[in-house]
Amino acid sequence: MAILIIFACVLALVIIDVPIAVALGIVAVAAMVITQGTGSLPNLPVVLYNGATNFPLIAIPLFILAGAIMNASGISQRLIAFASALLGFIRGGLAMVSIGTSLFFAEISGSAVADVSALGSILIPAMKSKGYPSPLAAAIMSSAATLAVIIPPSIPMILYAVMAETSVVKLFVAGVVPGLLGGLGLMGMAYWFARRYKLPVEEKFQWARVRQTFRDAFWAFTLPMIILGAIFGGVVTATEGAAMAVLAALFIGLVIYRELDLKHLKTAMIDGGVQTAVVMLLVATSAVLGTYLSEVQAPQKLAQAVSELTHNKWLVLALLNVLFLVLGMFLHSAAAIILVVPVVMPLVRSVGIDPVHFGLIVTVNLGIGQQTPPVASVLMVACSISKSSVWEVTRVNIWFIGVLLAVLLLVTYVPVTGMGLVHLFYG
Amino acid sequence: MLGELRKRYERLLEWIVIALMAVLFVEVTLGIVYRTIGASLPWYDEVASILLAWLTFYGSALAAVKRAHIGCPEVIALLGPGVRVAARAVASTLVIAFFALLGWVGYVILEVLATDHLVSLPEVEVAWVQSVIPISAALIILGELLSLPLAFQQARAGHAGQTGEATQ
Repeated sequence: MAILIIFACVLALVIIDVPIAVALGIVAVAAMVITQGTGSLPNLPVVLYNGATNFPLIAIPLFILAGAIMNASGISQRLIAFASALLGFIRGGLAMVSIGTSLFFAEISGSAVADVSALGSILIPAMKSKGYPSPLAAAIMSSAATLAVIIPPSIPMILYAVMAETSVVKLFVAGVVPGLLGGLGLMGMAYWFARRYKLPVEEKFQWARVRQTFRDAFWAFTLPMIILGAIFGGVVTATEGAAMAVLAALFIGLVIYRELDLKHLKTAMIDGGVQTAVVMLLVATSAVLGTYLSEVQAPQKLAQAVSELTHNKWLVLALLNVLFLVLGMFLHSAAAIILVVPVVMPLVRSVGIDPVHFGLIVTVNLGIGQQTPPVASVLMVACSISKSSVWEVTRVNIWFIGVLLAVLLLVTYVPVTGMGLVHLFYG
Repeated sequence: MLGELRKRYERLLEWIVIALMAVLFVEVTLGIVYRTIGASLPWYDEVASILLAWLTFYGSALAAVKRAHIGCPEVIALLGPGVRVAARAVASTLVIAFFALLGWVGYVILEVLATDHLVSLPEVEVAWVQSVIPISAALIILGELLSLPLAFQQARAGHAGQTGEATQ
């Protein structure tokens, strides 16, 4: 009951456009004062401060910064050229290039919005100029950008790992196969549209062109792969890997490509700092609310209530999938993770679901949430670039969302899809 | 006049955020280098966590000026201009009240923390580190006030901005 009242109050504040972080703080303070009196207020700044000092979350600003620096270093054009040489010969070549480039870009960026902003601004106008209908161009780019949060590094995965107190490295590894499968599935759907609209091939396949564009893009995607390898191999932590990624991005931008200027660097640092702050303030205020919920044992009571109904973990997963799909339509992924994951984790553990497996499910699920209006950050950016309405794009995008839903079902009910690599590497 | 003041204030906070991002990156990188050569820095974890907290709260002040905090403006944008403006007034009042309370309690608690020191750097007082709470609360309130005209303008126009984007 306490959870329902608290979520209703948070929802009421969010509806009138109070920032979610502040809404959580206000409700937490109100709950503390009502149940414990004003004597509990001195805990507010202490818990809030401690909530913002979570060491593994340092990876978030650093990965955002690395992605922004790489993008400001002219990497997008090089990745597009390589993807074009590799996949441009297929019918609907530019659609394949868009999805292929998103796959490459995903290993640099942990953010789907960064992905769609960086690549969409080049590829959506290019697709339109080749006769792709605007909504189709936007739908391809928008759905492909979701791969950025499934393929490591992934900011939602880092957040989940901290909230669920599980291994971010295992979660990164678990995302590799579903991300690749998602990419292939999206390419299959794009191919179907390409035949339907008789879309052109992009360029003839030539090994010489593949080799040349690979050489140009070599540093852009091999260095991040080495860094991810170091994280997977346990040589560095995710946080240290993120710092190495920034170092690598600076090296590529300043020494190899020599296209990174101070203006770009300044903008990248400001954007990275602000985006980190808005998520971390959410983390901090959710810590205040979390302290109250723990004191009243709300998550444990929820776990007990659901466990009394069913112990079937597949049924519980189905219920949680529906919950996260609905939440994904109305909440940003960071907010959904921070709000819901700590509450449902006792339930997840009590029915025997592996927290890493569940983390992958949550990530794919909220990736879909970025495509489903009304709150669909990635879709909105693609719509804005393509100058199409949200509903026009959604009518086409529903097919690509279908592919992502198939990946979600596969990840949920065939756990080996994601967990196979985790078990192979870590036993 | 107010617009110019807001821009200058935004620029000041931007430089604070840039400095914190740079120091955080350098500190973590130094930590890796020193650990690799077998001379781990004892204060590495604690200082990195403090820098993250400072980035969170000072960055939040910048986000307040830019009105970039994660919210859900889409719902209120569906309603009429009168309701949107009224909701904006209530929402901003609540934001200012919350940070005023946080700033006040955060300031009071500094006296309690006056005798505490960091574990890895005993010469640094915890109160100095945690002063970020009352200071940033004041900065966030100022940011909220300076960006209010823009917020009301957007509320009248029915603009629903996207927020918290790079973390999606």
